[in-house]
Amino acid sequence: MDLLQQRVNQAHASGDYQPVIDLIPYAGVLGVQCERFGEEMIFRLPRNVDNIGNPTIPAIHGGVIASFMELTAAFQLTLQLEHPALAKIIDFSVDYMRAGLDRDTFAMCTVERQGRRVANCSIIAWQERKSQPIASARGHFLLDSFSSLT
Amino acid sequence: MSEKILGKCRRFLGSLAHMRKLQMQVIKADEKSVTVVLPVQDQLLSSELDTYMHGGVLTTLVDTATSLSTIPALKEYELCPTLDLRIDYMSAPVTSQPMYAHAECYRVTRNVLFTRATVYQENPSKPVAYAISTFMRPGAGNTDLAFKALVDGVEETV
Repeated sequence: MDLLQQRVNQAHASGDYQPVIDLIPYAGVLGVQCERFGEEMIFRLPRNVDNIGNPTIPAIHGGVIASFMELTAAFQLTLQLEHPALAKIIDFSVDYMRAGLDRDTFAMCTVERQGRRVANCSIIAWQERKSQPIASARGHFLLDSFSSLT
Repeated sequence: MSEKILGKCRRFLGSLAHMRKLQMQVIKADEKSVTVVLPVQDQLLSSELDTYMHGGVLTTLVDTATSLSTIPALKEYELCPTLDLRIDYMSAPVTSQPMYAHAECYRVTRNVLFTRATVYQENPSKPVAYAISTFMRPGAGNTDLAFKALVDGVEETV
C-alpha cells in the first residue's frame, strides 16, 4: 500500500515527480512530466512524433490530449491528498477548442471541490498561451475506494 | 461494401503514429459501426499497480473508435476534428485482457456528427465504459486531398 505514500513523500521532498508518474505505464508511453511551482503543479506533454493523430496538420491525437488531461487530474489529486491514493475515475468530459499542434503541451488541474467521497476537477491544456487553451475538461473521481492498490 | 469500409478504417488507423505505437486494430467495420481492439501489451503493464491505472489509454481507444465510426457514416472521407468527448466509467478494466471499443455514428447533420461507444473486455454485455463524442465536419474541400486519397484507397479505381 505504501509504495505510493513513499513515492509521493519523496517527490514532495525532492521536487522530482517522475517516480510518481512512472507508476502509470501509459503516462510513460506518452512521456508525461511534472514540475512544481510553489503550490502549482504544471504537467508537460513533450512534443513526440508518436503522439500524432492527424498527420495533415500535423496535430496531436485527440485521445492523447484527453488522456494527458485525465492523467493530470489523477496525479494532481494523488499528490494533494492527505493520504495519497490513486483516485478512481467516475467520468470525464473534454471540450476541444483548438488543434493541438506538434509541440509541447501543458496542463493544469484545479480541484474545485474535494468531498469525502468525490472530487470535482477541472483541467485546462494549452501550448503557446494559457489564455488560449487547446482543450478544457472536467472529471469526477471517487476517493473512497483505494482497494486496487497492491 | 463492408470490405471497403474495413479497408478505409484500416488505412486510416495505420496512418496514425500513436495507433501504431499502441498496436490498435480495427477488427470489425460495417455500414453502421466499428470495433477496435487495444491488445494486451507490456508497455501498458505495471508490476506495482494493477487494473484501472491503465489510466488514460481507455480515453485514447474511445476517441479512436468514435472517430473511426464517422467513416462509414460519410460517403466520402472527411477528416473531422473532435468537438467533445465524454466517458462514463462503469467498472475498472483489467490489464490482463484486451480492451474493445464498439462505436457507431448515430446521427449525421450538415455540420456535426454524433457518435457513441461502448468499451468492454471479456463480456460485451458488461461494459467497462460508455462514451459519447461529437465531431465537426470540415466542409467540402477542406480535407487534405492526399490524406483523403490515402484513406479512400485506390482499390476501387484500379
